[in-house]
This record gives sequence, structure tokens and C-alpha cells, in this order.
Amino acid sequence: MELHRFGIKLFAAESAGIRVKDFVPVFHSWIQRQAVDGHLLVDVHDYGHIQNGPGILLVAHEGNFCTDMAEGKLGLAYFRKQPAGTGVEGHLDAALKAVRQGAALLEKEPAFEGQLRFRKDELLVIANDRLLAPNDAATFATLQSPLSKVFGAGATLTHASANPKDRLTVRIQVPSP
Amino acid sequence: MPTWEEKLADSLNPQLADEIDKFATEITLRKQGKLDEKVFAETRLRRGCYGQRYDNGHRHDGIRSQELRYPADLTKGPDTLWDAPGMQRIKIPFGGMNPDQMDVLADLAEEYADGVLHVTTRQDIQYHFIHIDDTPAIMRRLGAVGITTREACGNSVRNVTACPLAGVCKTETFDVIPYAQATAKFMLGHPDAQGFGRKFKIAFSGCREEACGLVNMHDMGAIAATRVENGNVRRGFELYVGGGLGAVPHDAKLFDAFLPEEELLPFTQAISRVFARLGEKKQRDRARIKFLIAKLGIEEFKKLVVEERKTLTPDPRWTEYLGGVESYGEKPLKPPTFLNGQKRPEGFDGWYATNVYRQKQEGYVVASVTLPLGDLSSWQMRQLADIARRFSGDSVRTTVEQNIVLRWVSETDLPDLYRELARIGLGAPGAGTIVDVVACPGTDTCKLGISSSRGLAGELRTRLAAKSFNLDAAVKNLRIKISGCFNSCGQHHISDLGFYGTTLTVGNRKVPHFQVVLGGKWQDNGGAYGLPLVRVPSKRIPDVIDRITDRYVRERKSEENFQDFVRRTGKKELRSMLEDLTAVPPYEVDPSYYSDWGDPREYTIGDMGTGECAGEVVSIAEFDLASADRLVFEAQLHLDEKDYANADKLAYRAMLQAALSLVRAQWMEAPDDANVITQEFRTRFFDTNIWGDRYAGSKFAQYMFIRHENPPPAPTHDQAHRLVEESQLFVEAVVRGHDILKERGQK
Repeated sequence: MELHRFGIKLFAAESAGIRVKDFVPVFHSWIQRQAVDGHLLVDVHDYGHIQNGPGILLVAHEGNFCTDMAEGKLGLAYFRKQPAGTGVEGHLDAALKAVRQGAALLEKEPAFEGQLRFRKDELLVIANDRLLAPNDAATFATLQSPLSKVFGAGATLTHASANPKDRLTVRIQVPSP
Repeated sequence: MPTWEEKLADSLNPQLADEIDKFATEITLRKQGKLDEKVFAETRLRRGCYGQRYDNGHRHDGIRSQELRYPADLTKGPDTLWDAPGMQRIKIPFGGMNPDQMDVLADLAEEYADGVLHVTTRQDIQYHFIHIDDTPAIMRRLGAVGITTREACGNSVRNVTACPLAGVCKTETFDVIPYAQATAKFMLGHPDAQGFGRKFKIAFSGCREEACGLVNMHDMGAIAATRVENGNVRRGFELYVGGGLGAVPHDAKLFDAFLPEEELLPFTQAISRVFARLGEKKQRDRARIKFLIAKLGIEEFKKLVVEERKTLTPDPRWTEYLGGVESYGEKPLKPPTFLNGQKRPEGFDGWYATNVYRQKQEGYVVASVTLPLGDLSSWQMRQLADIARRFSGDSVRTTVEQNIVLRWVSETDLPDLYRELARIGLGAPGAGTIVDVVACPGTDTCKLGISSSRGLAGELRTRLAAKSFNLDAAVKNLRIKISGCFNSCGQHHISDLGFYGTTLTVGNRKVPHFQVVLGGKWQDNGGAYGLPLVRVPSKRIPDVIDRITDRYVRERKSEENFQDFVRRTGKKELRSMLEDLTAVPPYEVDPSYYSDWGDPREYTIGDMGTGECAGEVVSIAEFDLASADRLVFEAQLHLDEKDYANADKLAYRAMLQAALSLVRAQWMEAPDDANVITQEFRTRFFDTNIWGDRYAGSKFAQYMFIRHENPPPAPTHDQAHRLVEESQLFVEAVVRGHDILKERGQK
């Protein structure tokens, strides 16, 4: 099995007045209309009582969406569970498409009244597999090529944490078009 | 690509590796269609892989019931889809973990679950939303740090639990941990424990008066005891058997006032053999050892076990661990010190008052880490592991109140420890108080959940925390425990204020409710079980708490405890105080009653049905059911007055009345005659399985049949208490039975 468990966090650029709990009915409505392409949306859980947890979790068979407060900033995270596409790039690309679709749906969500916008210039990619992607310089080096292919040659890739207990996390900064 | 199997080949105990290999093969065979789904279901359960809500591929989304179309057309058990997320239970014997194990537990939750670890009411840890294909890797990674999931579920010896203060407690007779450890190890996979009809739970306590290991509610429980013989102090156990919560709780019976330590394992083995041989196998709801003991009587059961003990072939494991028990102990990380004038961070004093226990070893304390709803994130768990490395070393335990404790903390370190816990969001005060609400998973993830126990617990926790500083001390020390259904995983029976989920149909809609259970006792090893008082809509439960606690503060006499207050006030009065809270406004007036806490979907426990002509029949049924409810309550009052004969009679009558309501839904002229009612009920609803597994109706029907066929000549307290509980459950099940008839258009 090749590395396919990627997580991606998009940071919110604007989120004034939005409470994490507001995502509960929104995610339920996504299930009602099975709103995310290529995903079987299953259930919603409120983990808002836990620090640095999944916040409000939308469980899908292919991958989970959740609100995320890592680095103290609200964002939308997506963690792929099932393989998608071919090769590491294919899996990365599938994760990116899913999280971008999720973000687009949230930005259009009437309940948020246009107050939620996601940044396009910076995101985090997390390799959620300590066997195939231990958090070290070698894995970071191996992933640079597929990451550059998916995010563009101009993207700046930074190894975000040196702690070997953490999952390999790469900060991606994309230059403005 | 490397695999965990290859990577951990040298780190795993060969026996455990073999066990996991077998399971991985069984997964492959099941995928190839070469292993029957029922057999696979039992084998995965014995490895702690449980099903989860909606794993039958159906989920009501608030508007309609959706079919969840997973890719694989395969099942992992009857009506359980392969790809549907499941739960993984992990045994943590006596709750003991070390920081390295905590790191791995955190990693696995992140990589295979949802990044959350849940501490259960039996000191286990659970992951939710696991894919069955990932479970062998999870098991290998756990096995590499000495943790097993084997027999975490299924008809086996479950996690052996023990008091989290064992070894440091000021009132214990001795440290029970070496015995709990030896029992867990000895019984794991033991051939004599493989033929049970149901699960078997064991607990250890160091003392009798505290809540300790909750021995009274266990299949087998051991309380540390000593005896002086020829001038020598001998260690042993006061051994109890046949306790249990579940739908109808049973008090454990004293098996032996002093079982010498060297007889602990052989007698555990002999008890297992007798249970495996004589325990019920076909009727799951009568298969726990408590039913066998109730049927045989404790003396006959004991006689059989003693005879069995004589037949056992001696096993060196019975005693080889005993050489180390006296010297057993944890090594503190730091020297003992005292809290002397250090600067105390903000919030420290409140936390110190509720979350710190001074050990019998001077200069050391146990610090409780309160976990809201028993949850912590992977990040918090890893941080907590580092905090443990810094302040307490390997002495970490989970608790049955869904918290974690750090033991052997040097007292001077407390302000720093508190700062660290607060930094990671785990510095909340209130451990073991009314704020520290315990709840099972309920409708969040459990297939049997009826109401949202976690939703309610979260709501109560928020409200109570906000006013905790103004709460009267007597109220502060009460406990709240919530179960999502009658099965009591939230341990509502042994709580001051207990609640379990139930439902009522109002108009054509279902309304989540909780049954209020009062009078349970946490102390004395879960020394008394509460009884249901009244069913209240979920949304009014916070009002129930306010009313009861306000009245307790206002009217308690001197140092009167809550159980005595409940007894003195009387259930009749308490019920009448809550009566108005039972009203449910029509949906059009207040739709909030028709959804559960934390879930915006309109509440349902399945697909709702509507019957055009239901009106009249329902009203007659409701009339009969109201009578049944009243009879149950009157039975409770007789029970309180120790009038067991009338309690029994009225509880039985309540069941007949409820059964009659269902029979009359099909045969309006059915006579009010016990023989006719039971016969008709059996023919129409039990034999046809109309009212079967979905709502456990068949299980509850047995309560009525058994009482009808075997009326006790002179009911004892235990018998009457049990029948009152059973009648309550039966009446509630009949309510759901009416819903089934409606759904099927048979009314």
C-alpha cells in the first residue's frame, strides 16, 4: 500500500462571528444532500469540547472533514482514509480537491452569510501515516516532488515540525497569481 | 512498501502476534466469502471490534432515511456492512498506562480513527470510526507496547478493573493491583473462559466503604481483606459474585468472606467453568452469571464451584506471582515534597480542592485530569504523556468516571502541573463532583442508544460548570450519570442523579426522553441501586436537576445525605414535583422538544410511520399505558415501604396492563384476564417476533412470562426490586411496540 492518508488544512481568512458549533447544522445539511463529490457522507460529531481535536467532525467513508483550530486559527481540515487516484500525487490531488470543495461549499453557505473565507496562499499538508511517512528530513525530501507537482513549482514547501512524534507536516505557501 | 507486521515482528510477544495473524487471516477469508458472517462477527468482537450506529447502511438524516451505499458488498456480521465505520475497544487492565503506551494510543487515534480517544466507564479506551481493514495494524502497534484488544468485547472475561487509587489510598487494606494484573493475565484466552453465554466482568477493590472498584455491580468482585492466623497476617479477599447493572441490576452475593490469596485464581477458574457449563446460552438476556446465581441460589452455586475447584489440575500460575506481591509498588519519579507557599496560578485553588488527593505516602498526591465526556484529542494525549514523564512517571490510570489520574506527583510540583494541564485544556476543576457528568456513547455511536446521553451530559456540564462556584457544597458532591438506553453503560443505577434514555410518541412524532433514576449509591462499591421515578422529555432534564437539587439544599436536615433525603421525601412527592415537566407541547408550538441535545435533526429512532386511522386506537392504548405507568409507580412506593408482596403484585399487574394495551390494538375485545393476556401476547407478538431484536422487546416479554409462570410465594426485597425494574422496562418496550405496529400499518 502506498502513502495515501493525507490531511490538508485550509486556514480561514475571515471568520468573524462564526462559532464552531455553527458547523453542526451545516454539516448535517451536507449529508441530507450528499453534497461532496465522490464522498459518502455518514455522520456528524461535535468534539468542540476538546482542545486541538477535530472540532465539528463530518465523517465520510472516503475521508473526514473537520473544523480545525491548529495554530490557534480556524480552518477546515480534511483527512483522506481511502486510496484515491494513482500514486502519491493522485492521492494528494484527491485530498486537495475534496478540501477545496468543502471550503467552497462553506463559503457559499447561507448560514455563514458570507463571513467565512479561506486563504488560498497558505495551507498545511499532513502525511497521516507514521509507517510510510515518518516525520524526518528524508520523507520530507521524498515528498517534495509530488507536492510541487500538485501545488506548482512556485510553491514554497517548509517542513513544519521537527518533533519525530508529530506527523510529517508541510507548510505550503503559494504565490499570488 | 513496509508493513507494520514486518516492522514490529521482533517487538511483539509471539503468542499475541500469532493471535493477530489469525485475525488478519480471518479478515481475508471473510473477504473471500470463506468465513460465515456470524462466525466472523464473534471473532471480531473477541478482538474488541464492535459495530457502530448506522452500520446496517441506513441513517435518518432528519428528513428521510438514507441508504448509505458503501463500496463493498460485504458484511462483517449480520446486518453489519464491511465498510461502515466501527468501534475499537482497547483493554487497559486496572486502567494502568505508561507514557509510551499513551503516545501509541494517541498516534493510532490520529491515523485510523477521528483523532479522539474515549475513556469508558470500565477503564477501557475506545476509538470510533475505525475501518475493519485497519484493525490488525492497530492491534500490532498496541501489542508492541504491551496492550491487547483481545476479549475486550464478546462473551469473554472483559477488562479487569480496579480502584485508580490502589496502592496509594489511605483506607485500603492492601494494594490489589498485583492480583488484578495476575487475574487479567491468567484469564486472557483461558480455555475455561471461552464457553460463556455472555460477558464476564471482574473488579478489585482495596476497601469496602469507598466506591473503589464498584464490586457490587460486577460478575465477580474481590475486596481486599486480611486475617490474622497464628500471629501472621494473611492476605485474601472478600469475594462477591453475580452482581451486574444492565437493564435490571442485581446486587452481588457474598461468595466467601475470606478467600485466601492463593485461592483467587483457582476459584476464578472454577467459577468460570461452572458459568460456562451451566449458564444460559440461548437466551442472551438471561445469560449473565447473575441469572444463573439467582436461579441456583448462592449456596448451591458455591457448592458447585467448590466441587469444581477440587477437580482442577494444579497450575503453577495460580501462585507464582504471589512471591512479588508484598514488594510490589511503583517507584516515584521524585522525592516527596510539600506544597509550601509557592505562587499559585489563577484557578489553581479551585482545581486543587476537587482534583487532588493526598496519598497515604506523605508528600505525594494523585492529580485527576478531568476529561469532558471522557474524551481527549490525540494531541492532548501526547502532551499528557509528556506531562506524566515530567511529573509522575509510569503511574497513570484511567478511571471508571472517564477521567485520567496521575499518581505519585510530588506535592511541590502541583502548581507547575496545573499550569501544564491548563495549557492543554485539561485543567478543569470538578473531578468527582456534579460537574463531572459521566455518559455512555448513546445515540452518538451506539447501535442501542435511544437518547443522546452525550448531548445531555455536555449540556449539563456546561450549565453546571457555569454556576459551580455558587453551588451548595452538598450539591457539588452529587454525581450525575447518564445512559443512552436501559442497558446502564453510563452506570445510572449507582448515581445520585441517574438518567437513561427512552422515547415517547406524541402525535405522530417521537420525542427523546430520559427516565429519572434516584437513590443510587456510588459509595460502598456501588452499594445501592436507584429506581426510576418519572420519564421526562430530554429538553427538560436540566430543570429536573435544578428542582431536585434546589429542594435538597432547602430541605436537607443537617448532614443528611442525598439518598436519605430521597428516602425521607418519598418518591411520590418527588414525582409530583416533576410532574409538570413531563408535558410535551405540540410540535407546532415548540419543535425544540422533538430534537435531541446537540443534534439538530428531528429526533427519530428509525423511520417514522404515520397511520391515518391511528387516532382512536392510540388514545385507548395511551389510556392503558398510563395505567401501567401508574401501577409501576405504585409498586415502587410499596417497595420503598418494604411491602414486597404488593410491590411484586403491582409490578406484575403493570406488565399485564401494558401487554393488554398491545393485544387490544389487534383484538379490541380481549378480556382482562392474566392467562389470556399472556397467551395472546405470546402468540401475537413474541412467537411472531414482531417485536423482536430492534427494541429488545422479546427480552422484556420474558420478564412477564417468567413472573406469570412462577409467582414468588413470598417475594424478597431483591425479587420485588427486580420485578419493579423489569415492569418499568416492559412498559417502555410496549410503548415502542405500539410504534412498530404503527410502522407496519397493523393499527
